[in-house]
Amino acid sequence: MQCGWPMLGPLQWIRYVNKQVTVKAGKDEVHRGWLLTVDPVSASLVLVDFKENGGASVHVVMGHAVEEVQILQEADEETADRLRTSFLPPRTCGLDP
Amino acid sequence: SIPTAAAPEADAEQLQTEQHARSVLRETFLRCLLSMSNKKVRFHMHGKVKLEATFGASDIDILNFQVSDLHTPIGVQKEALIRSQDVIWFTFDK
Repeated sequence: MQCGWPMLGPLQWIRYVNKQVTVKAGKDEVHRGWLLTVDPVSASLVLVDFKENGGASVHVVMGHAVEEVQILQEADEETADRLRTSFLPPRTCGLDP
Repeated sequence: SIPTAAAPEADAEQLQTEQHARSVLRETFLRCLLSMSNKKVRFHMHGKVKLEATFGASDIDILNFQVSDLHTPIGVQKEALIRSQDVIWFTFDK
């Protein structure tokens, strides 16, 4: 994917979700991580990098600064699962009586 | 800068698929924003400026970020708004 990232639209962006990608942004800055989501309003990418201690560092690259996005590989089941659960809210009480 | 839906003649089914994709992406993004509040965030701005601050919130259009204790090269700003257009990327630890 070259220029025009903000113009791609949701159906294209969602194809990058759960993939390991490199993102070129700004001047010669390259980010690598698992793509959690793309904000459909600002086209910003959320990249997650899992650490060995169980934590994760999150990079948000603003859509307007994106120059190039390249897919490296698809997530295996374990990684996809970690991505899916990484930002789920803490268990909430049901509203049923 | 909000991308509009597919061409008007696109059939309803495709519109629905697109709207579903949009909502899935947006919900995850909003959850990510929520989890950022009160966390230390490092902003990398145009011109190689790096800033550290405690994240507060964003407006719905992601045009501004509200932060506290913004460490700038000329001092600490207790409360501040950062224009997202000035930001290239930012990072935090989950």
